[in-house]
Amino acid sequence: MQTNRRLLSLLGVVLAFTLVAAACGDDGGSNTTAAATTQAPATTQATTTAAPATTKAPETTQAPATDSSDGTTIIIGTTDSTSSLDSADAYATHDWELIRAFNEPLLRFEPGSDAKIVPGIAELPVASDDGMSWTVKLRDGLVFGDGTALTVDMAVEQLNRLLTISKDGPNQVGETLAVPYVESIEAVGSDTIKFNLLGPAGFFPQILAGAPYSIAHPDTFAAEELNLFPETPIYGLGPWVITQFVPGEQTVLEPNPNYNGDFPAQVDRIIVREFAAPDQMADAVRSGEIDIAWRLLGTEAAEELQGVDGLTVAKVESGPIRYLIINHNEFDTKDPNVRKALASLIDRDELSDVVFGGAVEPLFSAVPPGFLGSNESFETKYQSPNIDAAVAFLEAAGFSADNKLQLQLAYPPEHYGVTTADGVLLIAQQLEASGLISVEVVSQEWSTYVGACTNGEYEVCVLGWFFDFPDAENYLQPFIEGDGLGTNVLQNPATDPSLLSLLLEQRSESDLDTRASLLSDLQDVYADEVVTLPLWIEPEYIIYRDGISGDSSLDRAEALNIGPTFNFVYSVLTKTAG
Amino acid sequence: MHPLTLLFLIFGLPSFTALVWIFARGSAPLRRYIITRILLTVPMILILVSVVFFVLRVMPGSVVDSTLGPKATDVSRENIEDALGLNDPLYIQYFTFVADVATFDLGDSFIGARRPIKDELGERLPATIELIIPATILALGIGLVGGTAAAVRRKRPTDYAFRLYSVLIYSMPIFWLGLILRLVFSVWLGWTPIAGRIDVISNINLDRTTNMLVVDSIISGNWTALKSTLQHLILPTVTLGLVLSGVFVRLTRINVIETLQEDYIVAAEARGIRQRAVTYSYALKNAMIPVITVIGLQVAILLAGAVLTETVFSWPGMGRYLVDRISSRDFIAVQSTVAVFAIFVALISLAVDIVYSVLDPRVKY
Repeated sequence: MQTNRRLLSLLGVVLAFTLVAAACGDDGGSNTTAAATTQAPATTQATTTAAPATTKAPETTQAPATDSSDGTTIIIGTTDSTSSLDSADAYATHDWELIRAFNEPLLRFEPGSDAKIVPGIAELPVASDDGMSWTVKLRDGLVFGDGTALTVDMAVEQLNRLLTISKDGPNQVGETLAVPYVESIEAVGSDTIKFNLLGPAGFFPQILAGAPYSIAHPDTFAAEELNLFPETPIYGLGPWVITQFVPGEQTVLEPNPNYNGDFPAQVDRIIVREFAAPDQMADAVRSGEIDIAWRLLGTEAAEELQGVDGLTVAKVESGPIRYLIINHNEFDTKDPNVRKALASLIDRDELSDVVFGGAVEPLFSAVPPGFLGSNESFETKYQSPNIDAAVAFLEAAGFSADNKLQLQLAYPPEHYGVTTADGVLLIAQQLEASGLISVEVVSQEWSTYVGACTNGEYEVCVLGWFFDFPDAENYLQPFIEGDGLGTNVLQNPATDPSLLSLLLEQRSESDLDTRASLLSDLQDVYADEVVTLPLWIEPEYIIYRDGISGDSSLDRAEALNIGPTFNFVYSVLTKTAG
Repeated sequence: MHPLTLLFLIFGLPSFTALVWIFARGSAPLRRYIITRILLTVPMILILVSVVFFVLRVMPGSVVDSTLGPKATDVSRENIEDALGLNDPLYIQYFTFVADVATFDLGDSFIGARRPIKDELGERLPATIELIIPATILALGIGLVGGTAAAVRRKRPTDYAFRLYSVLIYSMPIFWLGLILRLVFSVWLGWTPIAGRIDVISNINLDRTTNMLVVDSIISGNWTALKSTLQHLILPTVTLGLVLSGVFVRLTRINVIETLQEDYIVAAEARGIRQRAVTYSYALKNAMIPVITVIGLQVAILLAGAVLTETVFSWPGMGRYLVDRISSRDFIAVQSTVAVFAIFVALISLAVDIVYSVLDPRVKY
């Protein structure tokens, strides 16, 4: 017994010692968590005066009440996790949202609009006569949140990171949004940046309005090295400063006192809180733990919250699309009649109603509604479901009831949600309704599936797409050029050559009306060739509590000014005591 | 100071001190046993991490494709494969990994920001430890009290109630129990938070040192944060603790029943010692020995339960981290996390075996 007491005493002393050591420990040199920061901008009111924000906030140890009902803090829930805060290597919707909050891009989409481009930290761009270069003039008086003034050389150096070091990062955004288009970036005079392109790109302003084309602080984001998770505070040219970032938990934004743009912060603090699953986020917004639930809530959870008092459920007029990749260069699907038969058999309304209870929008073109030149080419051309037409196409391809088309339809069971399997099975039924097709449904885990699908290893496979920049180009080009993500459409010698020529022609057209007409023609050819088979748009929802509102002077205030561009601008948010 | 270093100071150093103390005071056979047991732990961990390494490599699928999705280009694919060393021969990848584990480097994560895994675990491991310690205490508390009560009142309603409880609670899926508790106590009653480790405002004001928020709150004297942390701990702890308590109730019950039939218990009763003292000081103490052995085995189950509990309650610990990284084929993160789990389980088993040898003088080596 005495021995046990001694042992306990010894353990107690050691434990006490280690706790004291821990308490006295200096974590200043640790780079393991960016959580422990109390430094904040000197002021919480947005102002145009250039007061350096280097003052430390009062060192508070006692937190205020846990809710945010003081009217100055808005808590936004998300199931997205942050992968990067470095604009030179961030390639996710959530990352871009945060980057745009503290780093205003050169141009921006007007909140709530249909991709209307307005000045960001630069005036609207001007194209050269040959379309091979674009120039933008920076706004006067640009100062980072910490008081550092921006020079044009600084800006060019930062933008060049997309061309030079983005390839070193895990997200490779430069390889997608800069290297294919931009040859070089240079300063012209004291306030103008010139982008020399590899070829004409009428949609280049849309790319410039993306988060990758924002100017980061050179002290935080060095020219020669990526810094995906910098130490806080993170200053930029945008309306907010990131004052705390705890991976997997939360990101805190406070107003940038040096911001002089058009969308200053309206509240004292935004907290973006991460959830592991949509149901937790739904419960949190229902109970008032968060003010807004945004991103990846899912149709089912959104419908459940529809009738809850004190909540507004708004549908965002955009979202990821689902479509079928069809191999044009191998299998029976290289025959255009087979592809047209498939297009004639798909009943999108039934898919929407049966599988999703009407929650998804049928998609009748490769380009969703709301984008320049969008039409309904598949509906116009095929009036599907049209079994008679499908049978005629299949018979023309040499198939009959005794000699059915054997079709392999592949999908990833876990990647796009549980409804994917139901949707694929219904598609199989719709195709087999012709009596001339026998469908073999194949499921494969995502990490194997995606490579196989985009390498053309399946005859037909399901994929989802979300734009990198909000323009019709980004819904058409990836499926046509190169291997077309598995369509191999240009490898088939029978493909209508106008498919490529129209794509190139619209790209070099700067007149919007002419470009819209070319895009419409291109979609008609696309539908005729059935390059891919568009199925539906999965809408996204934003749910917010009473007292939260967007900017009523802008479009789509009921959806907190989130339009088809999917841009959620925190600066439009206000909160009144609810 | 790195949180993992602090964790070692808080848990490892006292354990190491105790081990040295036991080693110094123990008999020669006990010393030999301790040395053998420690030496056996090394190949055990090596075998486990090797199996994990090769299983992950054999599994179909590509981490690059999984990460980049359909937008992967040949150039971006090559860039990432080069950066991650995926083009190196398998044996080089293996020895690099083993060397990393041996030096506690663990390498960098494949996905996300490619942060050092050591840093990511420094954020996640304390969260898991903060969850499993109170859950174990709760499970043991219920198990010992309930099991003893059932044994003393054998074949009476209390016994039946605890036996039924132990079967029901053990067979209950942990995620289902978590969801129900969350629905009732968080959504309907509003008594506990929905998810997370701490409320967002307290999180801003809390200085993190160990990343165990209870400890950090106490160290910094931030009582608001402490209150919030404890509130957030309630449901995950209860979920995990309740499920584990079933085993302990049954085990304690059967061992106390057996012990109560021993001659020395009858002798104690014959001497007129009070029944309560006989039960708790004589019977339970001896019945505890097999329970302690099972604690070592339960650690692995506890960690598996933590994976589900963390997912249900958005608890940013090792379990959730592992699930995320498995789904994204982040080989390095998965094998490093499993290695840490293995080391954790091995060390707990080692500690239990040594404690067992000290507690039970009948054990010979």
